[in-house]
Parts: sequence; C-alpha cells; structure tokens
Amino acid sequence: MGNKSSVKDVYGDYATLTIPSSEYRSTLNIFMVYMGVLAVVAAIWAGSGLAQMYDPWTILKVALVGNVILGIFGALIAYVGGATRANTYMLLRYPLGRIGAMIGNLVVSGLPLLMWFAVETWLFGVTLNIIWPDQVWADIAVASIWGGILMMTTAYFGFKAIALLSYITVPFWYTLIFIGFMAAVDTAGGFEKLWSVGPETFAPLGLGITYVVGLYASGCVITSDVSRYGEKKWSGSLAWALHVIMFMTLLLFIGGSMTLLTGSPHVIAAIAKIGLGLGALLLAALGQWTTNDNNLWSGSLAWVNTVGKLNKKTWVLILGVIGTIIAGVWGGLYKASLDPFIQFGTFLGYFIPPVGAVLIADFYVFRKYILKINDPDKRYSFGPGTKYAAVNVPGVVAMAAGGIIGWYTTVHNIGVPVLNAIAVSFLLYLALIIPMHKAGVKYEVGVWVEKPTGF
Amino acid sequence: MISLEMDLEKLKSEAKTVLSIMAAIGLLTIILGIASGNYRGQFLCLTLGLIVVFFSVVELIRSLRGANVRSIGIPYIQGLWVSASMGLGYVVTSPAPYFQLPPLFSAILFIIGWVLLGLGVYKLLSVSRKTGLPLAV
Repeated sequence: MGNKSSVKDVYGDYATLTIPSSEYRSTLNIFMVYMGVLAVVAAIWAGSGLAQMYDPWTILKVALVGNVILGIFGALIAYVGGATRANTYMLLRYPLGRIGAMIGNLVVSGLPLLMWFAVETWLFGVTLNIIWPDQVWADIAVASIWGGILMMTTAYFGFKAIALLSYITVPFWYTLIFIGFMAAVDTAGGFEKLWSVGPETFAPLGLGITYVVGLYASGCVITSDVSRYGEKKWSGSLAWALHVIMFMTLLLFIGGSMTLLTGSPHVIAAIAKIGLGLGALLLAALGQWTTNDNNLWSGSLAWVNTVGKLNKKTWVLILGVIGTIIAGVWGGLYKASLDPFIQFGTFLGYFIPPVGAVLIADFYVFRKYILKINDPDKRYSFGPGTKYAAVNVPGVVAMAAGGIIGWYTTVHNIGVPVLNAIAVSFLLYLALIIPMHKAGVKYEVGVWVEKPTGF
Repeated sequence: MISLEMDLEKLKSEAKTVLSIMAAIGLLTIILGIASGNYRGQFLCLTLGLIVVFFSVVELIRSLRGANVRSIGIPYIQGLWVSASMGLGYVVTSPAPYFQLPPLFSAILFIIGWVLLGLGVYKLLSVSRKTGLPLAV
C-alpha cells in the first residue's frame, strides 16, 4: 500500500494522497514527532485544570485512566493509517461518506485545531504576562495577538532557525518539567506535603476522565496523519500508546502537583514562584511554537480535504489569522482564567471521540467480519477514480448520536461521558449498518468520484 | 540523499572525538555541581550532566559499531541533539534563583552551557549536510 502512481501532490504534504514508501520513517522517529507535539505548556497547564478538581493521587489515577483510553483508541486509529498510508481525513470517507467526512474533518480537526492554535497562542500571552506583568506589549491580549501573528508567519514560511531551536528544546523541556516538579516538592517541604494538598471539593471522576480524554481527543483521532509515515504498520500505534500513557500522564500529574504545592493559580505562575528563572519561562513560551506549527499544519490538512480549494499554506494563513483573533479576544475577556479552558477540554472529550469510534467500528468490525475483507491493506483504497458514497447514513447518525449522548451525560453526570459517547457511536454504527447491509437496504447515499488531484 | 563518498572512518573518528568531548564536558559539570556545595545545584548538575554523559557514551558506542553512513551518523546526530539540548538547559537554569549556585559556579555553567549548545548545533548542521541525514532522526 502506498502511492505508487504519478498523481501530483497539488495540495502539499500528501494531503489527499497515500504516502509513498520512500517517505517512510522509523518507529523512533514517529515517537519523537508525537513527543514533540506533547512538549508544550498546554500539557502541564492542563494539569492545573485537574488541580482545581482533585488531589495529586486522584489526578494520577484520573490521568492514567483517561490516557489509557486515549492510548488504546489512538493506537487502533494509528494502525489504520499505517495499513492504508492515508491521513485521517481520507480514512473518514468510508465510514462517513465523502460529504460526511467533510463534517467529520471539521469536528475532529478543522475546528478543534483552530481552537487549539488560539489556546496555545493565548497561553503564550499568559506566559509573557507572568514574566513582564507591567508591560503593555506583554498584556495577555496584546501578546496573544502579536505572538499569534509571529507563529503563523513562521509556520507559513517555515523558518528553519525557529524549527531548529524548537527541535533542540524538546529533550530539555521534559527534563525541565522533572526538575520543576522536584523543585516544587522541595520548596513545599517534601513528598509528605505532596500527598496532603488538594482542593476543598472534588469533581466527579467521570468529568475528570472526560476532560483528560478531551485534551488530546483531537490528536488521538488524527494519529493517522503521522502514523501513515511509519515504516511498519504498527509503528504509529506503539509510538502513540507509549507516549500518551506514560508521558501525558506524567505531565498532567506534574502540572497539577506543581500548582497545588505552590498554591499558584496555574503551573506557569508556579514555575515563576519556585524561581526556575526567566529562561525557563521563555522556554515555555518557545515551546508553544512547535506545537502551534503542528496545529496549523494538521488543521490545514483537514480544510484542504473539506473544501478542496486553496493549498495547505494558504489555509495556514487563514486559520492563523482567525485563531489569533480568537486568542486576543479570549485573553481580553478571560485573562488567565482556567474556566474556559476546562470547559473547552471537556467539550472536545465528548464531541470528537465518536468520529474515531465510527472509524474503528467500520475498519475492524464491519469491513473485516461482514464484508469479509481480511487484509487490512485492502479495506480502504484511494486514488483518482475511486468511488465513495457521498453520505454513509449509519456513520453520520452514529457520530451525531455519540456527541449528543456525551454532552447529555456530562450535564447530568452519568457515568464517564467520553466512554458513553464512544460506546454509543461504536454500537449504534454497527447496529444500523449490519442489519441494513444484510437486508439489502441502501445505507449509502449518492456517489462521489475521486478527482485526479485526490480530492 | 546520503553521500556515498562519505569517508566512514573519518565520520567515525569525528563522532568519537566530538561525543567524547561532550561526555567530558558533562562530567565536568557534574564535578562543578558537587563542588558548589549546594544540594540544589548538585541536583541540577547531576540531572543534566548525567544525561549528557549517558547519551554521549551510548551514542558513541553505537556510532563506532556502525558500518555505513546511516548507522554511524544517526547515533552521532542523536548524541549531539541531546547534548545540545542539555547545554540549552544549563544556559537557562544556571542563573535561576532557585538553584542558589554561587556566582562563580553559575557563570562557569552558563558558559559551559553555551559551549555545549554551540558545538552541538554547529556539528548537527555540519553532519546533516555532509551525510545527507535529516536532523529529525
């Protein structure tokens, strides 16, 4: 499997094509790409959100459960990318239909990654404001705006110096987090103190797990964007699962612990309070750069596959401008408040996983056991002239139902909302498509023929 | 495109020299940390210094065992990457108030950090260009 034809990559980065074998990368390389995305303030900032809800021991448990869900879920989707060599937005054409996939793309990536770009830009503003609280240019809203413009510009032009500096930063970033944690424990009075701090009231565990899953839900469902490059089909699955279960859990735990131990409103304030230095904070700000490059890159892939017009670079500009405006407004209205961030993360947790659940149900169950396509490489095919349904009705219905159930059970605190959303989408898809297929009832509406550009 | 005319022995020799220098610098920072007499400074230097020494030595051994440009160059690049990153770490943390390093030690570690970072980045770009290997390996 892989793009062996002479189809031209008109949109860039194989946005609508499968990856040729000459572009395959090692499992370690795939792992480092995922780790690079995780090396960002938002990951430990998210721990601060958990600190508002739980004590350190509960944070660890909630983070582990949430990340195991992400690990398994993402690994399953990553394997689909590794087997087919296609990105997520192409894969969704089968379980949702070509037009259904456009909706799925926007739900999974197009809109969330735009929002993540805005969030990371806002966090950049928050970080600078901690360092220089009295400077106008470091006001959260102001810094968000010029920071967003800078990040968008470097992503558009691909400044190698910034890319190199960000690349050098990654190993030390993880070391700094460890050092910061030990420093927080030290200044608070030792590990005994760690297990005695916590908020006055605890949130339901299900809410926290949904929040954790929501933090990385978008990244989880789009693992194929990276795993399609893996030299082995399972390269992305292994790399994803390892990095999210081990390192994301640690980052959340450390971010939450640092916040509680220092009594700070959030982890960036904690880093400043401990006295880790101006350089550490500047590094945190720099850390936003690589991840925001990735956010714009992945988001533009989604929009290319949805709209089919304009190339990836142009979408980087469009998304960058919109995201910067959102960041500026957010910074102006909410300053450094965690509340909208927690709500955003929870919302993603019940809205995005249903899309992945439908893909998993289609690839691993329907195509394998009902359509009897045993070879994973053959379950999805792509290329000019390939015919897809315009809309796969069971897929779109299941995706919507899962999101609604996730929202409903969040509001009414029923079970673990994210698991409810995944289960409903997975089961409903199969409950609809299998009987319809066996009864000969048409479940796919319309036809879409893939164009020579891959769109 | 990997340069097929790359002198493998020359590449190995360079990897051996540069990574040995990195490891020696890492060891020096550990000694400085211990000598600083401050447990926070010792913790910092032991953490960063041990990472530099460990990765430099391991990648040096892997590099010397390599038989082609990829198997020599990739460990070499990885060793340089981690050492340069820890160099950045020394630059950022040695002046930080939390570590309470005496000014002389702080200044020396700050300079050593720049040396590690500068040497690492210079060699990364140079090796990548000569071997055709990408930085992100």
